[in-house]
Amino acid sequence: MIALVLAAGEGKGLYPYTSYEQKETISLVGRPIVRYVMDGLVSAGVERFVVVIGKRGDQVREALSTFQAPVTFVEQQRPGIDGAVIDGMEAVDDERIILAFGDIVTHSKFYNSLITAYLESGTNAVFSLVPVSEGLSTYGLAIIEDDKLKAISDSGSTLALAGAYIIPKGRFDNLLSYFNSLIEKGSSYFIWSGNWVDIGYPEDLIRAVESILSNRSTEISEKAYVARTAVIGKGVIVEDDAYIDEYAVIKGPAYIGKGAYVGNFALVRDYTSIEERARVGAFCELAHTLVEPEAEVGSKAYLSYSVVGRRARIGAGVIAASYPAEVVRSSVEKLGCLISPSKYVHHGSVLQPGHRE
Amino acid sequence: MCGIIGIVSSKERSASLIASCMKILEYRGYDSVGIAALKPNGIEIMKTVGGVDELTKQYDLTTVSSNTLLGHTRWATHGQPSYTNAHPHTDCQSKIAVIHNGTITNFDILREELISLGHRFKSETDTEVIPHMMEEWMKKGLGSWEAFRRSIKVLEGSYAVLVVVSGERRIYFARRDNPLIIGLGKDSSYVASDAEAFLRFTRRALRIMDGELGYVEVGEAHVYNLEGEEINVNDRILEIPWRPEASGTEGYEHYMLKEIQESPRAVRDTLLAMKHDPVDDAVSTILNSKRLLIMGSGTSYHAGLLFALMLEREGFDVKTLIASEATWIKPMDGDVLLSISQSGETLDVLNAVKNHFKKYGVKTISLTNRIESALNFVSDIRLHTRAGPEVGVAATKTFTSQVAALIYLKQRIRGESIDLLHKAPTAISSAISQQGYAKAIGEELCRKGSMYYLGRGLGVPLAMEGALKIKEVAYIHAEAYPAGESKHGPIALVNDGFPVFFVNDGEKTSLLINNLKEMSARRAKTYAVSVGSKIGAQIEVSFDGDLQLSPFYIAPFLQMVAYFAAVCRGNNPDRPRNLAKTVTVE
Repeated sequence: MIALVLAAGEGKGLYPYTSYEQKETISLVGRPIVRYVMDGLVSAGVERFVVVIGKRGDQVREALSTFQAPVTFVEQQRPGIDGAVIDGMEAVDDERIILAFGDIVTHSKFYNSLITAYLESGTNAVFSLVPVSEGLSTYGLAIIEDDKLKAISDSGSTLALAGAYIIPKGRFDNLLSYFNSLIEKGSSYFIWSGNWVDIGYPEDLIRAVESILSNRSTEISEKAYVARTAVIGKGVIVEDDAYIDEYAVIKGPAYIGKGAYVGNFALVRDYTSIEERARVGAFCELAHTLVEPEAEVGSKAYLSYSVVGRRARIGAGVIAASYPAEVVRSSVEKLGCLISPSKYVHHGSVLQPGHRE
Repeated sequence: MCGIIGIVSSKERSASLIASCMKILEYRGYDSVGIAALKPNGIEIMKTVGGVDELTKQYDLTTVSSNTLLGHTRWATHGQPSYTNAHPHTDCQSKIAVIHNGTITNFDILREELISLGHRFKSETDTEVIPHMMEEWMKKGLGSWEAFRRSIKVLEGSYAVLVVVSGERRIYFARRDNPLIIGLGKDSSYVASDAEAFLRFTRRALRIMDGELGYVEVGEAHVYNLEGEEINVNDRILEIPWRPEASGTEGYEHYMLKEIQESPRAVRDTLLAMKHDPVDDAVSTILNSKRLLIMGSGTSYHAGLLFALMLEREGFDVKTLIASEATWIKPMDGDVLLSISQSGETLDVLNAVKNHFKKYGVKTISLTNRIESALNFVSDIRLHTRAGPEVGVAATKTFTSQVAALIYLKQRIRGESIDLLHKAPTAISSAISQQGYAKAIGEELCRKGSMYYLGRGLGVPLAMEGALKIKEVAYIHAEAYPAGESKHGPIALVNDGFPVFFVNDGEKTSLLINNLKEMSARRAKTYAVSVGSKIGAQIEVSFDGDLQLSPFYIAPFLQMVAYFAAVCRGNNPDRPRNLAKTVTVE
């Protein structure tokens, strides 16, 4: 089967970050977001991919440069999500399509479930649904009557479209109306109850790291250097060539990517992910924070519920306050800063909750 | 629900091979099983009551082989699981054999018509109309394919059907609202309820859509619509790359959530089929009794409590008994016993009926989800829920179906219309649609060690069931109380953040609000599921609906809360520790 993967969105919920980097290429625990989708689809038996890319398509091509299955890239011509799907569909030479949004972080079994539901159903269209309770207005919601899917609406349910569907190829102007026309003709669905995050807002990145790292056991690469006095707790993953200096404490769950550096006396804790070749200076404290590849966090910084973009630099002594913050999709009212790729935050800055630059 | 499989092959395959496929389908039903093997001079049928193992004990399947085989595992909905009711079913000449999963709703009309044309029916099943109808068409000169198509066309209801005709090497199939998938191997073709049944032999699968029919031959399949126009299905063939982790979960991570999801259908099937049960006898027996005893264990006991409360409001003398404690009661003249058991095999219930109440000559009514069960054998009047097999250990759709059957019975006892129940499946769907909140609540509760469920009136047994569910699958210590009773002791445990879940069925809202205030004053974390008016809990999910249907909103919601709490804790809700689906020890 052929999967049509969307990786061209503007990523408005993550502005201004996404004016520099395509959302789907943001690295989470060592993998670009879009790889979670495509690796999951491969494990469910998908052999060919059409990926729709936009303005920052080169970044997506780069993120998929080591991907094992054949990929056809399609540059989006028509506007909006409807346009992306129509453009992508033209490149698919099959009557049915697995339509997958490239910004969903979930277990690979999710895609197995989609195929299972499709096999066992007697309908042309299969929809994945997921229960949600926060930010309901940001999702397409499924109206269920008796045990049948009746329509996709903007209210009246807490079962959201989960970002992967099997649909017949067809002509349409509006994807949602197309979905509803398929539903009218008869469709099936399944409800996914495992971990699932749709990356739309900064808090989603933080939740996604949490969901990936939950229930992971400690794995320390033999090629990593962990100083004799460093302390590594439960659920910590340390990759090849990472360097953890004297007296650093990595209190899991946490991820230290390839070639990353954690300085003396730093405390890295609670679902923090330090991606490839990022550097965390001495005496820093990081919690619920995502530090993108090659970013640098200066010494004595304190970051929580924050995202530091690729190659960004956080000066020494920066403090990111995280409470109380307005969040769209989290029950925790905490959000630190969102620092775009290659930005520099001055030494000693105190950033207000929800700060973006 | 039943499991079906057919194999057509260029070389003869052993009947024991199809039995091994049926074993995989046993989760779909295990009341009775049967195999049909096409022979040059007819069809050999082997069938029995019980599971596949029982069949292999009774027949030496290794000695039977054929190019064309059908296998069926049955979950009875019409007619008891007896030898005659077991599939495959045949026509008068035994030249056509049929297996079927589903319910044909117009079978009684078709059956009468066929009987008037001289056909002799052997079983009480809905399925048997199919071979006789085909026989009738073939007598009129039609070929077997056309006879099959015309027979399927008049069927109403749901079906996945497989048919073989003596002298042919093909299997006819038809699908509507029940699963069926074709497997195309090199020298064999397969068609089954679940691809898992043939995945060992081939991974090339062809999907069949609802409303389609056709036939498979060796290495190929022909698919048509009901009008007989052939459909090009080449682009539908796909390779199944992996091994499904669990049969029949249809994409769901656990049976428990899938089965909660099936509750609207389970309730609808239960209500539709009540007319086939001796409800009139049960009603008159209860009306003529002096006292009604209701007995059950676990979830069934809670369904019984709910029923008892409804009847007590009407002035009936009702006593609800926990089965393991029921034998302390000395029955009185004029007592009638209603025993409730999902499996009909629960030893506590069975022993109490057989060894105690029967000895006192008490008239007994049973309500079970299995048509043939030990409890049925010892009961005078047998009523059933038709929820289909339930794989998850914690009862979900079967509880909701029990409640539906009991409200149906209550309406009949009162001589009132059962129309209100038509909206029960919609009420359940509303609850299922609020799953996002059930998940959020479940994930909060999963971090707690202990909690209360409080309700009033009909809310009390529902609270008890909610507490039982979360104990069973999430291992959270939960106690249920009548809300008014909470201040007579239990409130002593309430402190900062202690979770208290209010079950508000909409009847005594103002009193529940008082109880809620008492709990809030002790800084409890309050949750509520409400029908009708709200009570103002910190987290409250409410439904606008008919208060008489409140259990259909509340029960599935509480089941989902327990499910998500279990998943959040990393438990497998389908296989809770220390528990068995059917408790057959005292």
